[in-house]
Amino acid sequence: MSQSESTLTSASAPLATRPRRNLFKEVSAAIEGYLYLSPTLIGLILFVFWPIVASFTLSLQRISPFGNRTRFVGLENYIRTLTSPDYWETVRVTLLFVLGTVPTGLILAVALAIALAYPLGRIDPLYRTLIFVPVVISSAVTGVLFKWLFHPVVGYINYWMLQLGLIESMQEGPNWFADRTWALVAVIVATTWRQLGFNVIVALAGVQNIDESYYDAAKVDGANAWQRIRHITLPLLSPTLFFLLIINIIYSFQAFGEIDVLTQGGPGRSTTTMVYAIYRIAFVDARDRGLASSQAYLLALMVMLMSYIQFVTVSRRVHYQ
Amino acid sequence: MTAPASTMAPPKRPRFLRVDTTGLVMHLFLLAVGLVISTPIFIAFFTSFKEPAKIIAFPPHLLPQVWTAENYFVAWEKTQFDRYLLNSAVQSGVIMVGQVLFSVLAAFAFSILRFPGRDGLFYLVIGSLMVPFELVFIPNFVFISRIGWANTYQGLTVPFLASAFGVFMLRQFFLTVPKDFYDAALIDGAGNWRYLWQILVPLSKGSIGAFAIFAFLSAWNQYLWPLVITNSDEMRTLQIGIRFFMNTLERGADWGPIMAGTMIAMGPTLIIFLVAQKQLVQGIAMTGLKG
Repeated sequence: MSQSESTLTSASAPLATRPRRNLFKEVSAAIEGYLYLSPTLIGLILFVFWPIVASFTLSLQRISPFGNRTRFVGLENYIRTLTSPDYWETVRVTLLFVLGTVPTGLILAVALAIALAYPLGRIDPLYRTLIFVPVVISSAVTGVLFKWLFHPVVGYINYWMLQLGLIESMQEGPNWFADRTWALVAVIVATTWRQLGFNVIVALAGVQNIDESYYDAAKVDGANAWQRIRHITLPLLSPTLFFLLIINIIYSFQAFGEIDVLTQGGPGRSTTTMVYAIYRIAFVDARDRGLASSQAYLLALMVMLMSYIQFVTVSRRVHYQ
Repeated sequence: MTAPASTMAPPKRPRFLRVDTTGLVMHLFLLAVGLVISTPIFIAFFTSFKEPAKIIAFPPHLLPQVWTAENYFVAWEKTQFDRYLLNSAVQSGVIMVGQVLFSVLAAFAFSILRFPGRDGLFYLVIGSLMVPFELVFIPNFVFISRIGWANTYQGLTVPFLASAFGVFMLRQFFLTVPKDFYDAALIDGAGNWRYLWQILVPLSKGSIGAFAIFAFLSAWNQYLWPLVITNSDEMRTLQIGIRFFMNTLERGADWGPIMAGTMIAMGPTLIIFLVAQKQLVQGIAMTGLKG
């Protein structure tokens, strides 16, 4: 209450005394502004901006497993990281993971968005609900759901493969989490599924933003449905597609929950992506937070570069609308 | 499940004339793909209500032959699902309230107030969206542990009370409220604080509600941070609880209780999705982000 009284007087008083109180007014407006911002600014400084510096400091240190002794080692952690075959293996797995999730997810999203944009009447909301729903599912729940579906003995996926005649008996089906290749496929399928709801929503918004008059003109010219998609929808959707491409690469770089629940990085290190390796090094295996921080920094530089590209396209996207 | 009809082009002819072959193909395509996409959720739902002995029956039946809630009782008994539920509710509730409150204040300052340094700070706040969580979670863990907040509600929630996404989203909404309202309020003698809470916030109820949904969902679904910052069963959230529950029961092929636990973990998010689908979809379409 007291604050509303004080702002009340400072806001209503100045008219008569403006020339003398300009500086005072400016200072008090600034103080008031910063007060409104302070909870957010303090939160971001403590838990985002300061940790950027702290993370870099950590990456220059050698830290004993329980954190009781630290020693400055310069760039040693970066050199250890960049010369370690294990690190390059996580880079390879991450790239395979991105290649497995992103193109599939985008192609599916665009196909579904084009179909969903087609006016089908009263049943539309049902289709939307069935297709959008993964958007609210967590990575942990996704992991558990697919662990059950991919179960080699009692899981539905091998059973359906049997029904479809892809395999001749349940024993012949892939043992998803024991096989290096199939484990990565399983993690890719689960992650693509969870991302799909978000991707379709964004793609659909893009399709619906395309002006109807383009299609009307194409119809007059006798273009069929495929030609309209090929020469109108896809080119005009390209800013949205580019945006989705970048943000999906970022999300795939950061995928964690599905991997932790489904495979814990295994078998061997076949599903240990860069993020999963950072977690293992910092919290499970060596507990070497210096080494983990150096890898986090290398990962962050890549993600931030892509975020920057995405940020530029977002501002352009907003500008167009 | 209300149709967002306004986003579609108005039908040019009565519907019975528009049902063409393309439309029929679209219907079949969407129904088939829709069912495939939502199948994992339906399977979890049906499995959680099957009799324990029938869950690993071969060939599997999609629907339970006898519906029973036994798996839920087993899940409840074998582990502390009541405690996980409480922890998730407290964690997500606190984060949601904090993010809404702090973001409203900051978005107000960034959209209505004028003061030196405002725009620079806005870019700083937005810039924080680019910082990946992987970069900051190790130092945050070290910091939270050092001040004794590991394995506490403070440790779970305080690092997430500020939300750059919320500031960005609410500022966009606040900018659409006509400036005349603010000028009129000032002439009537209301200060900034009163204008914010008595005029701007009630006018923006819809958008603040939409952001609250995003804040709640992303907090509820968090994984990496609750995994590293909790170290006792009493403090685990549902997402982490279900992971450890699955790891202990998997060998016994106890998939009924695991699926019951999964339904508890995703139930609230599914209900929110069914009730507030429109707000969620609009929020994502508008910002291009999911919180």
